[in-house]
Amino acid sequence: MGAQLPEGEAGGVAATLAVAPTVAEPAARRRGWTRNLDLIIPGALVGLLLFLCFVWPLFGTVPPPTGGNILDANAPSFSEGHFLGADQVGNDLWSRLLYGGRNSLEIAFAVNVIGLVVGGLLGAFAAFWGSFVDTVTMRILDVLIAFPSLVLALAIAQSLGPSKLHTIYALCFFSVPAFARLARAQTLRLRERPFMLAAGLAGTRAPRILLRHVAPNILPALVTFALLGVGVTIILEGALSFLGLGVPPPEPSWGNMIFEGQAVMSAEPKLVLLPSAFLFVTVLAFNLLGDALRARGNAS
Amino acid sequence: MSGGAPADVRVEVGAPPATGPLLEVGDLRVDFRHGGRTIRAVNGLSYALSVGRTLALIGESGSGKTVSSRAIMGLLPPSATVSGSVRFEGEELLGLSDKAMRRRRGADIAMVFQDPSRSLNPTMRIGAQIAEAVRVHARVDRAAARDRALELLKLVRLPSPEQRLHEYAHQLSGGMRQRVVIAIALASKPRLLIADEATTALDVTTQAQIMELLRDLQRQLGMALVMISHDLGLAASFADEVVVMYAGRAVEQAPTRELFAHVRMPYTKALLDAIPRVERPPHTPLPVVAGRPPDLAALPAGCPFAPRCPNAQDMCRETAPPLEEGSPGHRWACWYPCEDAA
Amino acid sequence: MKANGDEPLLSARNVVQEFVVRGHGGVKGGVVQAVSDVSFDVRAGETLGVVGETGSGKSTLARSVLQAPRPKAGSVRFQGTDLVGLKGRRLLEARRSLQMVFQDPFGSLDPKWRVFDLVEEPLVAYGVGTRQERRQRVREVLDTVGMDPDVYGRRRPRQLSGGQAQRVAIARALTLDPALIICDEAVSSLDVLIQAQVLNLFERLRGELGLSYLFIAHDLALVKQVSDRVAVMYLGRLCELGPAEALYREPFHPYTVALLASIPSPDPDAPRAQAHAAISGDPPSPIDPPSGCRFRTRCPRAQERCAVEVPEMRELAPDHAVACHFPVERGTALSP
Repeated sequence: MGAQLPEGEAGGVAATLAVAPTVAEPAARRRGWTRNLDLIIPGALVGLLLFLCFVWPLFGTVPPPTGGNILDANAPSFSEGHFLGADQVGNDLWSRLLYGGRNSLEIAFAVNVIGLVVGGLLGAFAAFWGSFVDTVTMRILDVLIAFPSLVLALAIAQSLGPSKLHTIYALCFFSVPAFARLARAQTLRLRERPFMLAAGLAGTRAPRILLRHVAPNILPALVTFALLGVGVTIILEGALSFLGLGVPPPEPSWGNMIFEGQAVMSAEPKLVLLPSAFLFVTVLAFNLLGDALRARGNAS
Repeated sequence: MSGGAPADVRVEVGAPPATGPLLEVGDLRVDFRHGGRTIRAVNGLSYALSVGRTLALIGESGSGKTVSSRAIMGLLPPSATVSGSVRFEGEELLGLSDKAMRRRRGADIAMVFQDPSRSLNPTMRIGAQIAEAVRVHARVDRAAARDRALELLKLVRLPSPEQRLHEYAHQLSGGMRQRVVIAIALASKPRLLIADEATTALDVTTQAQIMELLRDLQRQLGMALVMISHDLGLAASFADEVVVMYAGRAVEQAPTRELFAHVRMPYTKALLDAIPRVERPPHTPLPVVAGRPPDLAALPAGCPFAPRCPNAQDMCRETAPPLEEGSPGHRWACWYPCEDAA
Repeated sequence: MKANGDEPLLSARNVVQEFVVRGHGGVKGGVVQAVSDVSFDVRAGETLGVVGETGSGKSTLARSVLQAPRPKAGSVRFQGTDLVGLKGRRLLEARRSLQMVFQDPFGSLDPKWRVFDLVEEPLVAYGVGTRQERRQRVREVLDTVGMDPDVYGRRRPRQLSGGQAQRVAIARALTLDPALIICDEAVSSLDVLIQAQVLNLFERLRGELGLSYLFIAHDLALVKQVSDRVAVMYLGRLCELGPAEALYREPFHPYTVALLASIPSPDPDAPRAQAHAAISGDPPSPIDPPSGCRFRTRCPRAQERCAVEVPEMRELAPDHAVACHFPVERGTALSP
């Protein structure tokens, strides 16, 4: 008869799973939380970090991160008024960690959100229209990707002068092409799927197809990429700061705190170790979160 | 290790393989754990196959036919729990170590799958792949393996075999690729070949060629063949015996002629009725059975086909009927089997 | 208005479709002659089956009819309007009563959408009715295909079985009250029993709604089951086109004869012999098809003329045409 079987049957196991419909979904969810630990733990960690860096200083008792009293310089941990001590000029270390985190995270979010939106749109458009538009767009992006991005970022930061905003510009040169590449690859794959043709046959016009069919299907991959990108961006910002660019002192960022602290690392190691630890935990948490979401994205 | 074989399976203890069945599957059960639920993929399957014979394992998606053959080959993932007995030439296969199973696999039992593109390495030339298969099971040097590879390609009637040795998989058509896959399977002269939907992805003309090839090879090499399919028509043309599976169980087993002449199990009858026939005029209404196969993780008590069966009575829903021999060589699992058409 | 007097509902003439195969670096590697000079009609209320193997061009033909993409040459008149050459809004308007159901039920449904929205999409795209009216129509159409809108409306495709997903696809095709539905292997990936259910659904819709179908499949028995007339394609060309019953009982084209001989049948009372390989070898490449009659390389009846002259479709019996220089006449064997 030659009837084609669903893909799964050839795989045996997959077929039995595919045939059993998910009518029993509620049962699966009831015991779900233990199996979702890979998502819950990093999620909670990220939540805690965001809370500490963005919310806590608003109403918590956190001294300002700059303009410290020089008399408090190098105060040890748990001394009065300074939970984790103070740096060489008397700024509270705990406060600088939190405000520094806020700056680092703001930059990371901005760079990745801009990358996702601008890069995502560019890549999706290029793939959707194909031919000439696609070729031109991708060649331009190829040039940007091929250019050593760190050098480019340095050049921008040097010519415009270091500031949080300029750091964001510089790092966007890096993130936009990366997202565009990803969005383009995802959209190209999507274009081959029959439901895209079906949508066209149903009469849906191109803008609506992009918005209602392409976007929801490529978004999971882009969001996962963005989460992983947050980690990368924080480190990049740290690298820029370490080189004397990035967020300009006395405004803290984890990067410039490490930079300044490395001069006195033998005397006061905590000035380097604490921001490094925060950096590490944050990047790890975002990476794990991104991994957990990707695993779920692949499953569905 | 081996569960007790049920009474209705002949167990030839101590008989040499030449006279006893080549393959005996006894009360095979396979469970998968997935997401906190237990999926009963195979729920008690028994059959026997003798040398040189062809057995067709027929069923739809989820019937357990593919899973059962992978259990025989030891190719199931670790999440699977297998119980029961699979005896090959008298030796129990379930519970063998990976190493022992690998020796058996390919050497004595070979398997051919549905999609030849997935079974062939796209980066290796055809000749190299076959030679590799030859050398896995026999200590021969490269030249001898090459010669054997050419021999095998001629055996599977691949046109221009000398040329094909140097080609890559993507340069061949679907039918040719499947011939190559069969050649690889035959590399070490297996005594049993399992063809899992081997012709489903092929055109009907190519399908006929491949099935004829398999049949001729069987005779030439004295091989037994298990053909897994959803196509009853294919079974009718090429199999000696047919086992029909539903929801992990064998629901009817008989020699081919007997099965098609005297269908008993309503599911088999439903399958036969639902197949479009070239003999019938267009727009003949197809007798349909409503509903879908049951959830293998939540099998109902009683006969798994009862919710859809036109003959079902209360007893069917309460107790699962056993697979019993109702007429010589013909077994079915049904309380209210179909009668012969008058 | 579905029928239009004497004019066929769909009329394809000399349709040609080609694809350029690009080698590495975008270099042109060859041209696939997917569909070459195919002409046929689908009359109002009938089902035309199109049967062929891999590379026959039947799926490409379906897409060409829909202008996705436009054929390289030829015309496709639907309800009196030639679709070739229309673009944008005018194409959408002309094509409104022409819908398609695809082979892969899950592939043809956006996995992120819910059943209700999927079925509503054509109505939204064509700006039909108010929100309320669209809801009503979606419910109506889901009921027609046997899916309870309250149970299934909010589900996503991955929560459906293959048969259910295909029903949703059919429902979507029905929302605009089409005149012709193209079924491209629409039941080929379904299990036998589910396939029978969906086929019966197609028949019921045919009766209730007066639908016409262009039914494409590689399964000959399946095609005969649903079709009034059948077209046989090989390597981009039509071989034979005639009433289903007549074509299967007394085929004229050697390829049709060979196809029929290859079908395995589970009927022990069948007068035909068991399935056997009636032709040898593999189909040639569509990039470089044989000259003249494309089937000649595997045809037991081929002569010199077949390599030189492309056979035209000639009517040998009422409404039954063949493209062959040496067709199989009644009573003769396949090999002369």
